[in-house]
Amino acid sequence: MSKNGPVSAFHRLRRRYGNTMIVALALVVMAVLVNVTPLKEQTWLRVLFGISALNFTLRATVPLVLGALSGILCERSGIINIGIEGMMLAGAFAGFVAKTSTNHWPLAASLIFSVVAAVAVGGLMGAVHALFSIRFRMDQIISGTVIIILALGTTSYLYNRDAIAEGKFSSIPIPGLAHIPVIGPVLFDNPPITYLALIMVVVVHLGLFYTRWGLRTRAVGEHPRAADTVGINVNRYRYINTSLGGMLAGLAGAFLVLEAVGQFQEGMTAGRGFISLAAMIFGNWNPVGALGAATLFGYTQALQNELLLAGVTQVPRQFISMLPYVVTIVAVSGLVGRVRPPAAEGKVYETEGSA
Amino acid sequence: MKASRPVKLLVFLTALALLLAACPAPMPATDSGSGAAGTAGDMAGEFKVGLVTDVGRVNDRSFNQSAWEGVVAAAEALGLAEDDIKYIETQDAKDYADNMQQFIDAGYNVIVSVGFALGDATTAAAQENPDVFFIGVDQFQGEAMSNLAGLIFNEDHSGYLAGVLAGSLSRTGTIAAVLGTDLVPPVVAFNEGYIAGAKSVNADINVISTYHPGEISQAFVDPEWGAATAKQALDQGADVIFGAGGITGNGALQEIATADGAGETVFCIGVDTDQWNTVPAAQPCLVSSAMKLITPGVVELVTMASDGEFPGGNYFGDADLAPFHDFDDMIAQELKDLLEETKAGLIDGSIDTGYGN
Amino acid sequence: MRRPVLATASPTTGIARTLRALLIPSLALLAALLAGAVVMILSGDDPMAAYGGLFKGAFGDGKGWARTIRKTIPFVLTGLSVALAFKVSLFNIGASGQFVMGSVFAVAVGINFEGLPVYVHLPLALIAGIAGGLLWGAIPGILKVYTGAHEVIVTIMLNYVASLLGGWTVYAGGTQGQTPGPLWDRTAGAISETPDVLHSAQIPWLFGPPYRVHYGVFLALAAAILVWWLIFKTPLGFEMRTVGHNMRAARYAGIRVNFTIILTMALAGGLAGLAGAIETLGLNHKFAPEFGGAVGFDGITVALLGQTHPIGVLLAAFMFGALDGGAATMQFESGVPADIIQIIQALVLAFVAAPLIIRLIFRLRPQSQEDAGSAVSTSWGGT
Repeated sequence: MSKNGPVSAFHRLRRRYGNTMIVALALVVMAVLVNVTPLKEQTWLRVLFGISALNFTLRATVPLVLGALSGILCERSGIINIGIEGMMLAGAFAGFVAKTSTNHWPLAASLIFSVVAAVAVGGLMGAVHALFSIRFRMDQIISGTVIIILALGTTSYLYNRDAIAEGKFSSIPIPGLAHIPVIGPVLFDNPPITYLALIMVVVVHLGLFYTRWGLRTRAVGEHPRAADTVGINVNRYRYINTSLGGMLAGLAGAFLVLEAVGQFQEGMTAGRGFISLAAMIFGNWNPVGALGAATLFGYTQALQNELLLAGVTQVPRQFISMLPYVVTIVAVSGLVGRVRPPAAEGKVYETEGSA
Repeated sequence: MKASRPVKLLVFLTALALLLAACPAPMPATDSGSGAAGTAGDMAGEFKVGLVTDVGRVNDRSFNQSAWEGVVAAAEALGLAEDDIKYIETQDAKDYADNMQQFIDAGYNVIVSVGFALGDATTAAAQENPDVFFIGVDQFQGEAMSNLAGLIFNEDHSGYLAGVLAGSLSRTGTIAAVLGTDLVPPVVAFNEGYIAGAKSVNADINVISTYHPGEISQAFVDPEWGAATAKQALDQGADVIFGAGGITGNGALQEIATADGAGETVFCIGVDTDQWNTVPAAQPCLVSSAMKLITPGVVELVTMASDGEFPGGNYFGDADLAPFHDFDDMIAQELKDLLEETKAGLIDGSIDTGYGN
Repeated sequence: MRRPVLATASPTTGIARTLRALLIPSLALLAALLAGAVVMILSGDDPMAAYGGLFKGAFGDGKGWARTIRKTIPFVLTGLSVALAFKVSLFNIGASGQFVMGSVFAVAVGINFEGLPVYVHLPLALIAGIAGGLLWGAIPGILKVYTGAHEVIVTIMLNYVASLLGGWTVYAGGTQGQTPGPLWDRTAGAISETPDVLHSAQIPWLFGPPYRVHYGVFLALAAAILVWWLIFKTPLGFEMRTVGHNMRAARYAGIRVNFTIILTMALAGGLAGLAGAIETLGLNHKFAPEFGGAVGFDGITVALLGQTHPIGVLLAAFMFGALDGGAATMQFESGVPADIIQIIQALVLAFVAAPLIIRLIFRLRPQSQEDAGSAVSTSWGGT
């Protein structure tokens, strides 16, 4: 396991993301310049780097990165999770129901309660996925599909369209930091779940690569037999991680209902769970990588909208709308190359001699 | 089987939790199928009205709901029994014809099909069933058939009025529209009218408007895109935003309602019905709505069908601006006068919105 | 608790084996219907009325059967598409995009070439549809082999691209000066759709309106048989299964792994493309953006439910067809929203995939064989 030690993990990270960091830094500098200097008169530069584009990017990124983290937690422990979409939707619905039933509470209490409900139901969906996969030995792809369809059907069937959620999270500027030009309004003047999502990237990264829990989780996902031999309860780690993953997906659902929109809508995750899946693989099952992938995806979505709003091109809008998807395909084929999933993924683990 | 008991318990609890989650909110399904509260009158059992929704729900706070409310109101007026009106919610665009066939087979007299996408299926069904009256909401009729009425609207007119309002209210010189899809002509009509109306009061105004980038199945049911795009428009300096596109547009309205300066420096305009009533969360910013009055149109046509005076061909419903509600005091009298003049001009044809030329 | 994952089959006769194979799915359907009934009762709906309506709508009369059969056709083909890819450990989430491309290619041929006789025009349009899907399926295969791009990402992205591309081909032209799409019907005004497919390219009716069942049903059956033959009776099928079972071993054994991957993805795409072509040429007779590829996503469920076996896919597709075919009548008769169908579908899939649950419910004795669950690719297979 020495290969996965903290120090070499840092080196791998730097080697892998060194160029990305430089690009990201250049983009930040560019964004600041465009928004505070006369460069903002240039329509194309404004489209590429305007504050509205950056805000949109972050907003689109949050559910994607949470979904990707959800996938990472499950898959690093060896459970494939294609059901992120369903867990997100179930969380969103739970958050909505909790919010509508506590409308009479003080706003903050009601919202926090609803987030807890969304996270709890997301976690429950994760637990169900683990139960199906481990206890009932269901194929994990099937289990994920079941979670998706079940969540879609159940939330639509139970959704009371006359219920109205009153109020949603508003932004909390961080004192001091929020006044930095450009970076302040984009990064430090956001509603709480956005901050939480960014913090979760760091937490999951540190957790996976610098704690005993993380080491064991990765061991369980890579080589369960070896993990078992040294006394790690493989299936317990899988249950815990899949449930935690579900909770993160539920948080993404809470973001949609309680922070972004303020209402529920049938199927409102609108494929975000699948894009998260792509971000997870694109980021090579690594939290920071997933953040990069999700941001790229969010940015291309912002760009598509900016181009349409600015009306700078005569290209039919469908081709502009393809941007996020084509960029992802190009990036996945050209930049990342072969990714490597955790080795023991998708396989039921049978304890030695448990017959 | 040692693990089976906790496992069963977990399954049970999960099911329970999912079910309980729905309990605070009364079940939507219980009242579906029919909604007329009226007691059986003289027409009961003899005259039946069915409604087929576009892909979506009958209580979608948008056009399906407006049409269904029209059917319910007509049923009350005609004294129909509760069982005489029913709806089918379409799941897939391929099912339009099948769903209408359900009503034809059950001997319904009037079938309301909601949405421009059902146009072809409705025309075909009307040809095959000359004894049944069809009302096609948002369906323009090229060739008139005696048993098929297309309930259509001059969306560009109410869009134009919304544009005049927006152009007059704007202080920044930038206004925006967050729209459903340009694959649906009524949405385009709203937008074109809106732009023309805004330019008529301020030739230099900057109108940033954008349609949902996805495909038709997504375009009207993506509130987060609507909200994020509204935020984007605000970031770009727009101070009046027209949200036109079902639930997508509603997302935009709600986003603006929670923005800084909502109702003071930043305003929103709704669409289709008076959204003051249908989207209460938008009230902080909602100055008005560009309406197309589907409900009264459906009532009129159903009533005419029962009276034997059914008009085939195109039937124009009202398109108008909704009341200002709490913003009434804030709208200057000159602006109200201007809107009245404009409305008169649109009706008598002296003002041309430029749409469809 | 341990049961061998790959138990050796006890020697049983074909009939007994078939009956056994049907036992779990039947019980799964029963259990799912029961669970659905519980959900309905708890939310105040009447399950008897709902299921009565469902059955009547699916099998009650000629029109019901017609609906069920009509809806079964695309499920068969998209189900086969996903199932074929699973055999090679590839996860084709892209059937919906391939379906759309098949529709677009078929309609492009179908609205042009006036004057061709039906026996030339119709096959040509069908082949075009297959080619459209083939192309769209080959892309993720090629990218996977040559760049390592994961087919799950690529197929998801290509679904969006196909939907937008399909929308563009019939685009009536926006208001910002864009040119209309190449297949747009110039007489349709502001409406984005193609003209009607010429009569010579329409699949003839088996039963005309109001039944609207066309000869495409035989194409779907033929496709199922062909796929079965391909997988189990040809050397190529053996190579596919070997690659699916163990890619590294297949490579050592001298099997052309890369070729197999690309070919399988292309064929899977061709099947979904054929589904699109049949729906377009047989039923819709035109393409418009609202005729999307949702049925492609259902193909995943059908393939999994049919345990990726062509015969299983046929049965699963028929079940889905019946559930969908009866949905409208169910709503009409009982007022129960059609979402309940989706819940039932999910539960059937869960119960079929986890026979242990069914055995718990019905207190059956464990059978080592079935308890292994279904044999689908169980990893991202990231070579």
